[in-house]
Amino acid sequence: MNNEEIIAKINSGLKDMVQEAVAAAPRRINVKVDRNHLLAVLAYLKDQFHMAHLATISGVDLGASFEVIYHLSNDVVTVNVRILTPRQEPKIPSICSLIPGAILYERELQDMFGMVVENIPDPRRLLLCDDWPEGQFPLRKDWKFERPAEIIPGGK
Amino acid sequence: MEYKVALGPQHPALHEAVSLRMTLDGEIIRDADLKLGYSHRGIEKLAEERSFIQNIYLTERICGICSHSHTTCFTQGVEQLMELVPARRGLYIRTLIAELERVHSHLLWLGVAGQEAGFESFFMYTWRDREVVLDILEWISGNRVHYAMNTFGGVRRDIDELQKKKILDNLGLLRQRTDYYLNLAASEPTFIGRLAGVGKLSKEQAIALCAVGPTLRASGVPMDVRKDDPYAVYDEIPFEVCTADSCDVLGRAVVRVKELIQSYNMIEFILQNLPEGPFKVKAPRKVKPNEVYSRYEAPRGENVHYIKSNGSDKPERLKVRAPTLANYPATIAMLKSGFIADIPLIFAAIDPCICCAERLVQLDNPRSGESQVLSFSQLRSMANAHYKKIDLTKKEAAWPF
Repeated sequence: MNNEEIIAKINSGLKDMVQEAVAAAPRRINVKVDRNHLLAVLAYLKDQFHMAHLATISGVDLGASFEVIYHLSNDVVTVNVRILTPRQEPKIPSICSLIPGAILYERELQDMFGMVVENIPDPRRLLLCDDWPEGQFPLRKDWKFERPAEIIPGGK
Repeated sequence: MEYKVALGPQHPALHEAVSLRMTLDGEIIRDADLKLGYSHRGIEKLAEERSFIQNIYLTERICGICSHSHTTCFTQGVEQLMELVPARRGLYIRTLIAELERVHSHLLWLGVAGQEAGFESFFMYTWRDREVVLDILEWISGNRVHYAMNTFGGVRRDIDELQKKKILDNLGLLRQRTDYYLNLAASEPTFIGRLAGVGKLSKEQAIALCAVGPTLRASGVPMDVRKDDPYAVYDEIPFEVCTADSCDVLGRAVVRVKELIQSYNMIEFILQNLPEGPFKVKAPRKVKPNEVYSRYEAPRGENVHYIKSNGSDKPERLKVRAPTLANYPATIAMLKSGFIADIPLIFAAIDPCICCAERLVQLDNPRSGESQVLSFSQLRSMANAHYKKIDLTKKEAAWPF
């Protein structure tokens, strides 16, 4: 099965749910969907193409909105399913009911981007420490780490 | 009666800082929970402020063992963004280092597994042989751990005929010894008795929890990025994907020993078929706005980098997913209904690399719970003050003999 066949099948099987499906490179397909259809699209990919392996979930800060990319692969192709979520209301659905291995990546998104993952089985922090201040999300573009000025003893 | 026990972050059975919270019923683990973040360094944020060239050396520092894995994954992704075709000889040398790294990582793991199973002499043997691989890597790159071989368009150093001969000679020695270990591990009933049936992970569980690498392959799933999504020159090199269907720690050991032998074959093939020509081509500094998803089969499993460029010489976003993070959910499943005594063995069996999985400098005061950010000089003066307090008479005490 090559890229074109898979794209044709995705387009015919999912119809309106897919906003865009293009081959980005050999063995890479980029699919754009609405966040309300995410679970249905992932379930379709899992059933039809055995795409059960979720490599990771990447978050990207685009300014007015956040892009969330689900990297799914089977033994021939990798499909990058992307959804957009507005910055004012960064809500995404949890996909743990379909792919239980997604839990750590969803927790990482909550830590780093302040996304609200709906129906997440375990909403605790993953990487940031327990006393990390609320409302600080390090991977957002407007977050800057301010290093206190270093004073060298005996220096000028 | 259920007990809750915390293991780590600092614990003699775990080699890096990670915390395990377990609910025990006698000696049996009923539930386990992992707490991460003790070695999170903010590499993804840092990468956004560095140029692509600087990021090669930054990604190299993600991990000490699979340093080449991260740089190759990053480099090949950026080469795709640059629409650059790397030099063929460079790709062969890149693959050679990758396989040598796999050999050194697997030998390290075999030693750790031997030690955790109570077979200390095995640990001594494999770590002695690991020195042979590390020496080879030093002859090629000048370094034992951070090889700094990758650059955009190829590699930074070439291999000459003398080095080639030296590597092949030493490979013979390694091959002989690996065969001996395979026989030893296969015929030593105490070693098999300790590993078999420990840390069970069924095929369905392994797929559902998105496990990667030898952990997944030991559960009978033949997933290997080198075969499924060939990068560098893996589509030209003959090799087999090694699997086992015992779904336990023994299976993971067998997979790794088989992969060692495959790696020796691949190294030989690469050295015999090394193409002539330049080992690198010139690369542009700026990268057009685009995005790429790069996959790499590291010794511990699938390593993934997502790179987005914005037209400048710095990446807009770099997302790194190291194999250990992918294997954590599977580790929890393996620990459940196991024994306390098996924790180090099960944990070691995924070949965890904690610093890899976590990528800020912040110090917490364990007594007050306050956190503060300290400068290097403050840390140094604190250390000096600490050592001044220590009683030095002990140091001057006479040797008792």
